Amino acid sequence: MLSVEDLAKVYGSGSTEVRALSGVTFSIGRGEVVLVVGSSGSGKSTLLNLMGLLDRPTGGRVTVDNIDTSGMDDGRLSSVRNTKLGFVFQFSNLLPDLTVLENVMLPGHIGGLDCRREAERLLESVGMSDQAHKRANQISGGQAQRAAIARGLVNRPALVLADEPTGNLDSATAAAVVDLLKSMAAELGQAFVVVTHDRHQFGEVDRVVAVRDGRMAEAISA
Amino acid sequence: MDVTHYIMDYPAAGMDYRLRLAVRMLSNKKGSMAAAVLAVSVGILVMHVNFVIFQGLFDAFVRDMRDYRFGDIYVTDEEDYITKADTALVGWFERTPYVMAATPRMSASVSVNATSAEGRMEEHGVPVVGIDPATDRRASGIHRTISEGEYVTSRNSMVLGSIVARDLGIGVGDSVRIKITDRWGQDQFMRFPVSGISGTAGGQGLDTSMIMHIDTLRDLMSREGHTNSLLVKMYEPERSADVRDLFLESFPGDDFVAETIEESAEESLRGFRSGIAMINMIGMFGMMSSAFAIVTIQMMLVTSKTREIGIMRAIGARRRDILVLFVLQGLVIGAVGAGCGTAAGLAYTAYAKETKMSFDGSIELEVTYNWNNIARTGLMALGLAVVASVYPAYRATKLQPVEAMRAV
Repeated sequence: MLSVEDLAKVYGSGSTEVRALSGVTFSIGRGEVVLVVGSSGSGKSTLLNLMGLLDRPTGGRVTVDNIDTSGMDDGRLSSVRNTKLGFVFQFSNLLPDLTVLENVMLPGHIGGLDCRREAERLLESVGMSDQAHKRANQISGGQAQRAAIARGLVNRPALVLADEPTGNLDSATAAAVVDLLKSMAAELGQAFVVVTHDRHQFGEVDRVVAVRDGRMAEAISA
Repeated sequence: MDVTHYIMDYPAAGMDYRLRLAVRMLSNKKGSMAAAVLAVSVGILVMHVNFVIFQGLFDAFVRDMRDYRFGDIYVTDEEDYITKADTALVGWFERTPYVMAATPRMSASVSVNATSAEGRMEEHGVPVVGIDPATDRRASGIHRTISEGEYVTSRNSMVLGSIVARDLGIGVGDSVRIKITDRWGQDQFMRFPVSGISGTAGGQGLDTSMIMHIDTLRDLMSREGHTNSLLVKMYEPERSADVRDLFLESFPGDDFVAETIEESAEESLRGFRSGIAMINMIGMFGMMSSAFAIVTIQMMLVTSKTREIGIMRAIGARRRDILVLFVLQGLVIGAVGAGCGTAAGLAYTAYAKETKMSFDGSIELEVTYNWNNIARTGLMALGLAVVASVYPAYRATKLQPVEAMRAV
């Protein structure tokens, strides 16, 4: 489904060079739920950005659904992000100018698809149907994160990348979001990669990848 | 639910999401939107005001020149005088379709003196215009400029231009004595009672002239049957060039010179037209400065939406989508601004027309709705707003998703 091979990211050059990530290699199969754990500054968000094609690696390659993304131009990378990947960010990152439903439909619109029914179905799945026509800035943080999960799934991506999806939520809401993510993964059969600093919050998952000082410290089966 | 919501939520099924988002972003930044729209509107309004005042002034001069001095077609001779019988020429014109009337004019300059309460006043080189009372009323509007007394009705009537009357210090009922040199070089003298005073607001009438019967002037100049010029008034002024050409073709052996009012006015008002071009240029600079305002406001909008741009890029929007989004914002600003500016400009034009606008009692502006000009101004403002949005939009496309999403 997704594989990264000898992935490296270096910021700056010469005396200001910072090696954020190096030599990271692993792959994720269809339907797997994988946690990427590590302390703050360990490079886990950098890894997620590279896996999500949001940033370009300085070394190695990322293959998504058997598509080698190295050397792709910006337009093709955008297209792969739109069709193959779904994102859930720490801060829900809904567009405040749109309604909840419009936010969930946005990936479809960008890809030129009418996904209204799918968006409404997903909003119902995440318990947000009654908030669909509210502006994104008029709902709570937990509700926004639920809507963001729906948005991440609306294009039926092969892989959903979640960066600290509970990091901005209180513990009760965070637990609800974790349950939601896991139930959606079970229901839809999509692979999930979740970056978190708190692995225990997620309970049982298929695999845990630990990142330390920009390197894979261990790959643990959960 | 506000109007934007209604527009956006219901008939929006087929609306491009970028346009919808552009409108939403603008409607949620009302201050920026208002400032940008105001910049476009003011640019258009300035163009409209310039047009109403300066083109209105130009058209008013042309109108008065047509009414009082040149008609729609002005006929002269390469020599000083037309020797063909004026009745034949007037008859030819009045038999021609599209022509309402034609009238002969004779002109010369005289010395004039008069005695008033302030003593004896004398003026030299005063223009005198001979008119045919029977045809002049139909072909010219000069009889409507009589502010006091009556127009020329008989061979011994004399109408003074208001400035001549003022300089001589006389009025209706007083008399003037003129001296004119005939074709043989002999001075001829004649005394006339003043029957009327003629004055016009813009000075395009015969304010600095004296008006008398054409036959009297011919007698004094010993030029029986001669004419200096013919004024032709048209039912359909737009056919003036056709009638002029037909006239010149019909008298190939004569040395007539015939000009339409546009040609006559062009010669007299060339400097004025240059002034209008310069004023329009200043108006254009005004519109361009509004484009700079749009660039600034759009740059602010791009900066304030950095995070949203990052989110859109992350979920698959291409650079082209971001470019289109912000160019559409420019289009919306331009469209709303052009609409408001055009509405304000039309309101000003209507006000100027309704109130017969003039300044300090001067010439009354000839206010017209030039729809081509109105449409061109609106479209130009719209185009400028779009063009002004291209650079901020381009800058927005340069934001990398990761960097943009770090923005708070």
